[in-house]
Formats: sequence, structure tokens, C-alpha cells
Amino acid sequence: MAQLSIRSVSKSYGAVQVLDDVSVEVEEGSFVVLLGPSGCGKSTLLHAIAGLNPIDSGTIVIGDRNVTKLPARDRDVAMVFQSYALYPTMTVAQNIAFPLKMRGLDRRTSDEKVAGVARLLQIEPLMSRLPRELSGGQRQRVAIGRALVRDPRLFLFDEPLSNLDAALRTELRAEIKRLHQSIRRTMVYVTHDQTEALTLADKIVVLKAGKIEQTGTPLSLYDDPDNAFVAGFIGTPRMNFLKATVADDGKALLAGEARVDITHLATRLENGRAVTLGIRPEHLDEKDGVTLSLSVDVTEHLGSTSYVHGALASGESVVAERREDQPGFGETITLRFQSTRARVFDGEGSRIR
Amino acid sequence: MSTVATASDPTRHFFQPVIVCLTVASVALTLFVIWISLHDLSLMRAGREKFIGLDNYLRFLGDPRAMAALWRTVLFTTLATVIEIALGLAVVLFLDRDFAMKRLVRTLLLVPIIMTPVVVGLTWRFLFDPATGMANYLLSLVGIAQVDWLGSPRIALFAVLIADIWQWTPFVILLVMAALESAPTDPLNAARVDGAREWQVTWYVLLPMLRRALAIVALIRAIDSIKAFDLFYIMTRGGPALSTETLNYYGYIVAFTNFDISYSLAVAIILTIFTNVALLTMYSVLFPKTGDR
Ligand SMILES: Nc1ncnc2c1ncn2[C@@H]1O[C@H](COP(=O)(O)OP(=O)(O)OP(=O)(O)O)[C@@H](O)[C@H]1O
Ligand SMILES: [Mg+2]
Repeated sequence: MAQLSIRSVSKSYGAVQVLDDVSVEVEEGSFVVLLGPSGCGKSTLLHAIAGLNPIDSGTIVIGDRNVTKLPARDRDVAMVFQSYALYPTMTVAQNIAFPLKMRGLDRRTSDEKVAGVARLLQIEPLMSRLPRELSGGQRQRVAIGRALVRDPRLFLFDEPLSNLDAALRTELRAEIKRLHQSIRRTMVYVTHDQTEALTLADKIVVLKAGKIEQTGTPLSLYDDPDNAFVAGFIGTPRMNFLKATVADDGKALLAGEARVDITHLATRLENGRAVTLGIRPEHLDEKDGVTLSLSVDVTEHLGSTSYVHGALASGESVVAERREDQPGFGETITLRFQSTRARVFDGEGSRIR
Repeated sequence: MSTVATASDPTRHFFQPVIVCLTVASVALTLFVIWISLHDLSLMRAGREKFIGLDNYLRFLGDPRAMAALWRTVLFTTLATVIEIALGLAVVLFLDRDFAMKRLVRTLLLVPIIMTPVVVGLTWRFLFDPATGMANYLLSLVGIAQVDWLGSPRIALFAVLIADIWQWTPFVILLVMAALESAPTDPLNAARVDGAREWQVTWYVLLPMLRRALAIVALIRAIDSIKAFDLFYIMTRGGPALSTETLNYYGYIVAFTNFDISYSLAVAIILTIFTNVALLTMYSVLFPKTGDR
């Protein structure tokens, strides 16, 4: 049974449609990531789930209760805000105890719970400090602690790691993952960082301009994207998109250069149709397959591997992974890929399967 | 500035003389005032003053009119500050963050603050006129008997208080509104998610965030109320039967009606000391050393 159902939710600020017919089902105990570029409506959706801003139409069901009209305090969700949103005039201990106080828990039980959370998050030495006396990572953990102390039906995280440095971000990402595995609570997590999305999620919802582009497991979004936006958004470096035309034998002709066999697709493509082929950089370093020649501009060395940036004869720029050698500026190298690795998109960017 | 300015900092040539001049001027003036207050300088007996020590101060303690004026000052200051802060805060919380004609309202709020006290005083005198004033007309509409606002010793002080509240509550509203707008909204939302009702959000989260701003506004209003003079001068001249005579006003009467300059300055110094003690106490209560707690 779904723990959280978002059904056809729409919301606009004046003329701007921020959420457009969004529907998401979240299974009990799962970790769902809302992913999308800045301004696509992720925070708005999360605030709508929490009950912090009213939606124009649609239904939100948590557990088996329709909460669409309920105020935030009756929804039994805990939220970690993008800005931490700690209570500036309360100490760390008072911050974490606040939700318990609002629920009228007695002092003893409350103190025990707060101490337990503090131990889990290793913030015990900070308990009597004020938020402004803490570092960003410490504030972050206090904000998470304030959510964890409650044991709610649903956890909402709004880009909780966005303000942290890379090391701390990786550390806290792992901490959140561990936490989810140990308490097995439903979590909805907003980010525009796709590494976070891929490492944390059971399910990813990709949003663009208030619309859901695709919903699926990290692997299915990576392997089997529904459209060029998702294909380009998931994976670093970005997928390469190459213009092609369908030839009379059903193969795709890549800007006059190579022929890619796409006859395995279920759809029969008519002769002369313009399509786009998407090929990931990591699939361009095979032993055999379709060949392309790339004149190299820059090579990025990342230790175990390198990424070559360059241009094809057609002028289209391409990024390719290179494991064996590290070609320099001006060299021309041969890229090889399996034609089954190519994803085919039509003129509007929709996937052709 | 002064913490970074070392002996070699050339900018000290600009600010040090200014500081020295200001310090010398205020210290010299204060000492001069204290010196005169230890004499019996009076314009009625010009040229025959002599040193009388603390006599003027002892006279103050035994002067029932002065003690009554002091008590009235305390009453007026406390009521004005408390009511203006409470009323201003209530209005701000009621108006909340965004509403349609906010800019218009904000502009209108400036009107009483900009008006000169003379105009405010005269306007309220007309409003409080027992026969033709608006105040009694409004009371008559709800069936309450006529009140002699400025003519009754028991009511006059409160009539002035009403005028003061009318003039200065908007000031409180403007400052608190600004503080509210610059306060972050996310903690309020966090409290809602954490299960707080709206009054709990206000009480536990919003008001503590506004405390500093409120404390500063309260200090400003308290200082102004202690020194209030113009409204009293225009509306009641301390009357009827001295019922609106504050210490500040009494000092003025002593100096300019009785020409008892030394005693008047002693009153002024007592008022200054009293004000400082009261405000320092208030300050240490509002801004505890430990920070925000
Ligand atoms: N109060 C508001 N009034 C008008 N427009 C708003 C308001 N809040 C958000 N928007 C608009 O709604 C859109 C979605 O905002 P939202 O905060 O949900 O984006 P987001 O996906 O969380 O972005 P980010 O990744 O930058 O946090 C944006 O285009 C934003 O400009
Ligand atoms: Mg956001």
C-alpha cells in the first residue's frame, strides 16, 4: 500500500504554473527523490505535502487519510528545511525537543528521546548552544535531529545538503542512507544534485517546469530514459546527443559519417526521418562497434579514468570516456560504441523504443 | 573603528579631536549644572546667590509637588510604553505579513509621527472639548455620559496619554513591521510542521525572534515619554490642579515661572539620574549579558 499518494496536484503563483498535474505514489518505507533543475517546483511540491502552502487542485493522501485540507500540524510529517530553519532563540536541545513539547510529551520521556537522537547524530557536546554558534554541518544535523526525534509517518528533506562542502556532503549523504536503512521510514528527498539522487533513491521522480518527466528506479532512468531531458539530466558527464537521419535500410545515418543499426527498435522508422541518437560518454570506449573519429580539444584526467572533449567531423561536440590512453589537444582518436547502447529520440525529444 | 585604530592609524587625527571636544563639552556642561544646583541662584535675587551644598536635593525629597510629579512621570512612562508596545505589536501581528494595501497603510502610519506635537496637541484638545468635541459625541452614540476630558484632574493625564498613544503607536508599528519582514519565515513553517498551533508559533518562535527589536522600541519610547513636554504644554499646561504635571514640566515651571534656577537644575539632574537608573535596569533585563537566552 502506498504511504503517500499525490494525485493530480496543480499549483500556480499568478500566471506561473509551478506544479502541473503532478502524481506520485510512494511506497511505505521507501526513499523517493524529487530531482530537477532549479526552479522546477521541487520545494513547492514538498511544501504542499507538508501543508505549508495550499494547492489549487488535486489530492494528497498520507497513510489512509486525505490530508489535502489539513493544516501542517495535523499531517504528522517531519521536515528538514533547505535553510535548516532552526529556532534561532532556542538552544540545540530546545530545538530538538520542540516537536515533543508541542505534542505534550512529559519532560522525562522527552529528555530521553532528545538524548537518544543526540547520540545518533553525535551532537551531544552541542546541546546547550544556540544555532548561530554552530557550523553549517552541525546545524544540518540538528535540523535532522529535530525531524528524527518525532517518529512521524513521513520524512521530508528539502535539499538538506546543498549548503555543505563536498566532504561533509558525502559524509552526511551516507549518514542519511544509513539512517533510512535502520529506521525504514518513508522519506521524500528533494535535490538537484543527481549523484545524491542516484545513491540514495529507491525511486526517482524527475521534474521539469512543474511537470513529471519520468518516474522510476535510478537504474531505469539511467538505462531507459523516456525522453531526452531525463537522458541528459541523469548521468555525468552528460549524454551526447547526435543528429541522424534514417536511411532506406532502416539504419541511422550519423551526419554523413557512421551508420548505426537501430533496426532492433520496435518502431519502424520511415526513410529520411530526422532523429537524435543519445550515447553516454562511458559507452564510447568499446573494443569494437560503430566508429566515430573525434578531434580532441581537452582531456580531463580523473585518476582512474579520463574524459575527452572534442568535436566530430560534423562539428557536433562530444564527450567520451577514455580508460587506456590520454590523448592531447589536436589528436584525432577513434571512438567505438555498440549500436544497442544508442538511445533514439524524435524531434520533440521523446524516446523512440 | 576605535578597536582597529592603533596609535599609527592616521585617521585618529580626524576622530580624536571630535571625541575630545564632545567629551569636554558634555563633562564641562554637566559639572557646571551640578555646580549651580549646589547654590541658591534665583533670578528674583540676582547677584546674591551663595553655596548651599545639597540643600536643593534635600528640598526635593521634602517637596510633595515634586514627588507627585515624579510619580506621575513614572505612571505616564510605564503606561505609554507598555500600551504603545502592546498595541503596536498586536496591530502588526493582526495585519501580518502581506495584505493588499500595505504600502498605503504604511504611508498613513507616518502621518501622526510627522505631525508636530503642537498640531497633535491642538487637534486632541478640540477632540476632547467637553461640549463640541468628537470624543464626547462618540461616547454619546453608545450612550455613555459626557466626560470632561481635560478639565477633570482624574482624567486629564489619561487624555494626554491617549494623544501620546495615538501619535507614537504608529512608530512602534513601523519598526516592528520592519523587524517582522526581515525575520526568516522558515522557522515559523518549521514550527507548524512540528505541530505548533498558530498562537504557539507566535509565542514560542516569532516573539522571541522579535524580542530585540521590541526591546529597542521600548527603550526609545520610554526615553521619549520621560522627557515628554510638548503635548502636556499644549493640552493641559500641567493642570487641572497640577494633575498632569510631570517632573520634566515641573522643572520648567520652577525655572521659568518661579525663576528658581538652581532648584530647577537640581530637579533636572534628579530626573537624569532617575532616567539612567531606570533605563539601565530596563536594558539589563531586556539584553542579558549571556546573549539571546
Ligand atoms: N511565493 C512565490 N511567488 C511566486 N512564485 C514563486 C513563489 N515561490 C516559488 N515561486 C516560483 O515557483 C517556481 C518553483 O519554485 P521552487 O522553490 O519550488 O523551485 P525548486 O525546484 O525548489 O528550485 P531550487 O532547486 O532552486 O530550490 C519557481 O519558478 C519560483 O520562481
Ligand atoms: Mg528548493
